[in-house]
Amino acid sequence: MYELLAAGVVDILQIKYLVPLCLGTLAGVVGGALPGVTITMTIIVVLPFTFGLDPLQGLAAMTGVYVGGSAGGLVTAILLGLPGTPSSIATTFDGHAMARRGEPGRALWLGVWSSFFGGLLGGLFLIGATGPLASFALQFGPWEFFSLFLLALSMVAGLVEASLLKGLISGALGLIVTVLGVDPVMGQERLRLGIPFLSGGIDFLPVLIGVFAFAQIMGEIEKRGMPSVLPAVDRTMSLAVSQARVIWEVLSRPLQLLWCSFIGLLIGVLPAIGGSAASMMAYDQAKKFSRRPQDFGSGAPEGIIASESSNNANVGGSLVTIMAFGIPGDAVTAVMLGALTIHGIQSGPLFISQNAQLAYGIFAAYLLAHPIMVLILALGARWMLRVVTVPKAALFPIVLVLCVVGAYALNNTMGNVYVLLSFGVLGYLMVKFGFPLAPFILGVILGDQIEINLIRSIMTDPDPWLFVTRPISGVLLGAALLSIVAALWQHRRMQRRAAVSQTDPDY
Amino acid sequence: LKLSRDGWAGLAVLAASLFLFALTLDLKPSALVPIGPGFYPRIVLGFTALLAVALVAFDFSRKKPLLSLEKANHGAVVLHFAVFGLYVAALPWLGFRVATFAYVAAANALLDPPRSVKGLVRVGVLALLTALAVYVVFEHYLSVLMPRGRWTGF
Repeated sequence: MYELLAAGVVDILQIKYLVPLCLGTLAGVVGGALPGVTITMTIIVVLPFTFGLDPLQGLAAMTGVYVGGSAGGLVTAILLGLPGTPSSIATTFDGHAMARRGEPGRALWLGVWSSFFGGLLGGLFLIGATGPLASFALQFGPWEFFSLFLLALSMVAGLVEASLLKGLISGALGLIVTVLGVDPVMGQERLRLGIPFLSGGIDFLPVLIGVFAFAQIMGEIEKRGMPSVLPAVDRTMSLAVSQARVIWEVLSRPLQLLWCSFIGLLIGVLPAIGGSAASMMAYDQAKKFSRRPQDFGSGAPEGIIASESSNNANVGGSLVTIMAFGIPGDAVTAVMLGALTIHGIQSGPLFISQNAQLAYGIFAAYLLAHPIMVLILALGARWMLRVVTVPKAALFPIVLVLCVVGAYALNNTMGNVYVLLSFGVLGYLMVKFGFPLAPFILGVILGDQIEINLIRSIMTDPDPWLFVTRPISGVLLGAALLSIVAALWQHRRMQRRAAVSQTDPDY
Repeated sequence: LKLSRDGWAGLAVLAASLFLFALTLDLKPSALVPIGPGFYPRIVLGFTALLAVALVAFDFSRKKPLLSLEKANHGAVVLHFAVFGLYVAALPWLGFRVATFAYVAAANALLDPPRSVKGLVRVGVLALLTALAVYVVFEHYLSVLMPRGRWTGF
């Protein structure tokens, strides 16, 4: 394993991989810092640029976006009080308070180093756990895969903050998308509805791009009275700070760092919950375990460390599920899954054994993206505050043009652009009607695999009880049922509470 | 029938799933896979229809008053979808460069209307730079052949 990792590091240190990794990390930091532009949107914009690259170059760039984006949100969160991404909302509570108290440099660098160490802890888990989990998944037959995918869908449907019923309907709508056009087992045409571009089925990438890009951009456009000018930045503000002191401030709280990173990892492994839930949960835990909980909200360093370490560790957790099981942990890894399929690479348990060089290259890119992210923020944190003043009126049309290019370039046909537009409208309507997008996307991604494994299992042995009596499959189905019951209980509890806080959706 | 948006959404999902379910009844089984291509879609569509019925039933039985829709500029959203739809429709006829120039200029002007000649120049320059830069990068460096226009020839 260590030899492969060392080989991966050597690969990534070559200019042809290092350049995409650095550019991806820079794009991620800038995208993450821009309020209203999420990491998902940034990776969607970067995606078409990776089509002409080799798989490792493309995935190195995307890994950079993911790591950079998870940290980039802290710049505006701390210095302007405006979270660049939903996952940095918790950072504003103490980060901005500390900055206003006259310590912007300390607040910023506490966030940067917490992201760095949290991310590296996530990296250790990623490298250590992916192989064993993939080996475990190699024991799976079609029954187990079918049950595993059902578990992932039921968890996502239950964990989203909308109603359970809407979450399930959203997942089912995603599955319906995959039954249109062509049967994945025999390649037989079905339910084409007379639409020519449905004849080969629907690619999930234009669906994903359309749903997320339009839901977010149209959501911004519809806001009345949206401030077009960000709060003024004090140009004389000094960000200079003793790095050794700040690093010691982070590392002198090892238990907090480990616990909050663990929370981030755990949330990352669970499909489609997202970094915002991880950082909020870690912040809440840090406050509960603190000897001075009253200090939280007024510039407590523990608040910044908790939020930033967990949201960067979350990235490692999300990458584990996609590399070991082929199940995307969130929208960003869903786009990465799409990038793999464009290059003809199948993710899942065989991925790491069949593509060891690529897998360890991704691990190495993940590890190296962290020091690059620190370097970018060291050189450009102040410059980042100028970038965020880019008017959205100019940014949004350019992003949508790149979405069109991304959809078109998949196979150089307009069909995917029509899919992009259709699902853009559907995604926006789903948001307006309160249907969560995450189960829908997971349904679109897993639909074909669910069908293939169901048909394979029935063709092997028509006894339906095998889904329950095979131990792993039975446990997974039981867990799926349990997740539905737990979600019902949770929703009932939430309904009893009068006030439900509203946060931005974690696209 | 007093339904909220949940109820209406449930009815729409129910109608769509029943319509597609009816279409699956015409699918013929294959010789190699006797279960047939309609087996799985029927499970998914039937399950979706059941969930949709449950959503309508819950909505119907729920105590009102309903949550009011938040104030939002839906007109602007419809307009932007229309402009984007026109862009997509125009791509095969005008080609990438012309259609993108027109789209970026129109969308930018709608989002931030130019109030002076300088503003108009800004809109034009942004549209021109976007169309050309994206074209050059993708066509020449990333080997993506961008759409050519049937009317314009380029």
